Parts: sequence; C-alpha cells; structure tokens
Amino acid sequence: MPVRDDDLAFCPTLTEHGQRMLDFLREHPAAPRFSNQSGNRLLAAEVDALRGFVRDVQAAEVGWPRDGKPAWLAGFVRETCRDVPAHRRWTHLPSRFEDLPTTRRADFAADIARHVPDTVPVERLINFRTTGTTGNPLLVASHPVVAARYLAFHLRALRRFGIELRHGRGQVGVVLLGLQRRCFTYVSVTPLMDESGLAKINLHPDDWRDPAHRATYLDALDAEVIAGDPLSFGELLRLPLTTRPRALLSVGMMLSHGLRDALQARFGCPVLDLYSMNEAGPIGVADDAAGGHVLLQPRLYVEILDPAGEPVPEGERGEVTLTGGFNFCLPLLRYRTGDHAALVHGAHGPVLQGLHGRAPVRFRAAAGSWVNNIDVTHALAPWPLPQYALHQRSDASLQLRLAPVAMPHAAAVGAALQQLLGPLPLEVQPLTAEDKVLQYTSALEIGAP
Amino acid sequence: MLLPGPPLETLLRRLADTPPDFLDDPRIGAAGQVAVAAVINDLLALGPGRASAAELQRFESRSSGDAGRLRMALVMAWLLADDTLRPHIGARAPLLELLHATAAELAGVASALKYLHDADRREEFVRVVLARLGLRPHGASAEQAADRLSALSAIERQRLLDASRAAEARAREIREALVRKAAEASADKWTRE
Repeated sequence: MPVRDDDLAFCPTLTEHGQRMLDFLREHPAAPRFSNQSGNRLLAAEVDALRGFVRDVQAAEVGWPRDGKPAWLAGFVRETCRDVPAHRRWTHLPSRFEDLPTTRRADFAADIARHVPDTVPVERLINFRTTGTTGNPLLVASHPVVAARYLAFHLRALRRFGIELRHGRGQVGVVLLGLQRRCFTYVSVTPLMDESGLAKINLHPDDWRDPAHRATYLDALDAEVIAGDPLSFGELLRLPLTTRPRALLSVGMMLSHGLRDALQARFGCPVLDLYSMNEAGPIGVADDAAGGHVLLQPRLYVEILDPAGEPVPEGERGEVTLTGGFNFCLPLLRYRTGDHAALVHGAHGPVLQGLHGRAPVRFRAAAGSWVNNIDVTHALAPWPLPQYALHQRSDASLQLRLAPVAMPHAAAVGAALQQLLGPLPLEVQPLTAEDKVLQYTSALEIGAP
Repeated sequence: MLLPGPPLETLLRRLADTPPDFLDDPRIGAAGQVAVAAVINDLLALGPGRASAAELQRFESRSSGDAGRLRMALVMAWLLADDTLRPHIGARAPLLELLHATAAELAGVASALKYLHDADRREEFVRVVLARLGLRPHGASAEQAADRLSALSAIERQRLLDASRAAEARAREIREALVRKAAEASADKWTRE
C-alpha cells in the first residue's frame, strides 16, 4: 500500500501501517468532516531522541529541597541570559535568583521573537496560538519535538494513576475533543506509539453529517485515551457511548469535582485534571492523595510570588511563577502565569495546593463579610458543571452563567450560592461563550477592604 | 558577561613599555625583520600550546597591505604575554582569532604607533583586548567596563551596532516564520490547552 505524499509532508516517518490508520480515521462511514490537515512533523532521528526523552522523564525525580533550588537552575539561568535576546541585558548576573526580574504574558505578546534563543534554527519553528483567560491572542514559539514531548509528561501523569499505555499499531491512541463552532480538526499518527492513531475532532453537531455519528465514530475508534476540556467532556457525557477509554485527560479549564466524578462513574476510568498551558506544557496533575497538583516536569522550577514579586513563605498563596521548561524555543525565566496557588513540599514532592486561574476575586455576602472565590468553587463542586461564570454587580446582586448542559442544575446551584453568600438577588443565565471566560468577576471588589 | 580581569593600570603600563623590537617592521616576503608567526607561536606556547603551520599561515604575508595588521598583532602578543593576563588565556582558536581579526579591526582605525602613543587609544586597545577575552578591568563593574569601552572605541560602537542589526534581522526572521505557519496546523500534541 503506497504512502501518500501529502500525508508524508505532515508525517515524515509514515509507513504503510500509519497510512492505513489515517485512511481508517478519515474514511470511516461515521467520520466527521475534517477541516484541516496536520501531523507530527517528526524526522526519524527526532523520534529516536524522543524515546530517550520519554525514558528520562519517567525515571527522573521532580522537585528540589524545601529551602533550596534545583541543581540545574544556575546553569539554565546562565544559558538563558546568554542566548535569549530579551534576557541579554545582564552583563553581570545578580547573585540572588530572586533578583532576576519576572516576565509576563504581556512580554511575550509584545515581541515573542526576542524570547527565542539564538541557538534555535528558524526553519522548523512552529507556533501554538493561545488566548488564555484574557482573550488576548498570543503566538507561542514551538517545534515539532516540543509538541511530541507532551506525551512524556502525560505518560508520567498516567503512571501515577496506575495506567501504562499499551496501544500501538492498528489502534487509536488518543482522541482530542473540542466543542466549538469552529475547531481545527485533523487526523495523525503517533510514531512514539508505533503509529497509533490520533484524531482531533469537534463534538459540535455542525461538524457531523448526522449528530448521532459522534457516538458511532468514537465507539469505532475505541481510543485508549480521550483528551478534552470540561466543556467537551460535558458533551461527551450526553452521548450514548459504549467505548471505554483507559483514561481521560482534562486540560484548559478548571475541572469541577462534580464533573470529574460523573465522568469517572460513566467511563470507569481515571480522569486526570492536568494543569497545562501553551507557554509551559503540562505542569502538574491533580491528585487527591497528594492534596493538590503534583508537578510533572523535572526541569521546571516553580515559585509562588506575592504581587510585588517576592517569594511567599511555603504554604502561602501567591502567583505561580515558572522557570525552565521543555520548550527549547521558549525558555521561561521567572514567568508569572497569572494563576494562583500555594506550594507545599511533602512525600509527593512539591505540590500546588488550591490552584486557581487568575488573581483571587472576593464576593460580598449579604451580611457584609467578604468571601473568597475559592469558597465559591468549593460550594459548587458537587455539581457536574463544565463551565460557569459568577459576577457580582455593583448593587451586590449576583449573575451566574452556566453552560447550557448544566442549566438543569440551576436551582440547586443557586441555592448553594445563597447558602454561602446569603439572600442576595440572583439571576441565572445560560453561558453561550465558546471559549474560556473569566470565571469570577466583581464590580464591588474595587475599593474593598 | 564580563568576568573580573587584571588591573587596567598594569596593562596600560605594559603597553607604554612595549620594547622597540616589537615595533620593527613585520616580515613580509623578503622584507622586514620580525617573523610575526614565530612570535605568536611563542606566545601560544605559554598558554594553550603551539599552533600548526596552517593555523599560523594568516600571520605570514607577501602583501605590504598586511603590514599594519601584523604590527598590531605583534603589539597585542606583547600585551597578552603579561603575567596578569596569562591565567585568563584559554583555548587556542579564540586567541588566534583575537590576534588576527581584532588586530585587523584595530589596524583599520589607526596605526600601532598611534595606539601606543595616544593615551585614549592605549586605553581603548587594552579595553578591547580585555573585552574580547571576556574580561573587565579589576575593580570595575561589568556595566562600567562596557560603557567606558563603547565611549572610547569606534570599533566597539560598530560591533554593538552590527550586533543590534543582526538581532533585529533574526527577530524579524522568527516573526515571519511564526506567522507563516498556521497556528494549529503546526504539530501533534496529545492535549491542547
């Protein structure tokens, strides 16, 4: 069976077996309309090197001493300040790591090119576009090898939950789900898994000749792993599926305990809540036994900073700030993520506790006291809410927006909110936004004590 | 990043005391007295080890147009042989590059005699050599050393300008490469944030 040139362009190591898989994914009678073409873009030598990378990540210890720094950090800082134009202002590095200035998303947005090391050849640069929670688009410089390295951290996270992936030739390794009006969809194969199939699909009914094909197709693929975000997983729960993946990977938004439990009960497999971002890849995986998100990357140093940029004492909340990473096109130097958590060292290494996107927001209860948004998250945790947004208006009234699939829970969720915040006027509406929204906002917090 | 080096005054004094032998005409073809390649090989023997004939070829010439560069290399060899500098001299290749390319740059601005007899040029000469060795004068901060060098040296200012142009060209190349590829058309990740 010949390998087609247009597929080879996206999958340079494609064999007949891989071609057969691509054809199966595209030509299944219930397949969606795939809107795009893409692939792993990996060269043979890169695939070999990636096998070593996966082995190293599996075997590595992740973490650093409670009162110390990782051994690799000083060398990384030296190289980054030597090779990255944005950091080359230093003719003499500060003796204290904490005296290096922090970087932010806005620095990348202003000119990402100045953050790419001189040592990276331009020819094979790729980018991932991200909107974050602010809605401001950002192009993140990357490379096919960097994209493929994600798998190493997924495997490490899965192993934590007792899952060793075993799919290979002739089987589908992963299906990536979206639920958007417009979504980039394509099929590919994973050379590291002996060309197991990969399909990125959109569960939005408009992508299918018949919405019922969604379940037929997913059952036919019978993927070992399904990856998605809480929105697409909310939709997945509504489909009459018989497939039983060995794990679900959730990224991109906060996964409520209620939705996680519902998914686990439905599919009988672990649901991994990954803390991941385009700028850094998979950072941690939530593990109740560890009390938070366990870190996954051996060469990523995490600090927790106060608003002035000073490290907070262990266990105190602050902004998650990253140094290092596996994207050699975008080494991170004290990168402030905008997410907040506390960092605690324990038996599982450093763990991010109470991870929350963006700065904390407080809501004023009817009695006048202030309630942190984390308490709101806890109060709403029992319900399978794929996405919600709570806003407090200047007159203290509340507006709660729920994903349409969660509207049946509106009354119960509203009651839980009023139990927490008191008898404030509450309006519940469907949330129609198709991407990330600011989960918590308040017109009252400005000027609050 | 510039590391601490020897005191500036020591090197300025050594340069002012350059022996007349080093100012004799370099041998070019059959003319001239000083075999520059041999002097440089003697210098290398003090540090990273003697060079091959091929490596030394650039210090031999049959063109009178090379006289200024070779004379500058001689003066530089005299400076580099100072006891305070020798511990900082590392590998052979960058040292040969300094004696060849940097000497040529300096010779393009003024004669060796001018560098020896004019106080500002003397300081420029020493500071350029130190900077190319990755050193700053003892007691000066890296910022002070860089500021003083760019104030004194036309070739340093040109180097900074060239570096800034090269950086801008590369940044433009990266921006174009990133925009050329559609974002998600890029490559497989098992999860998408």
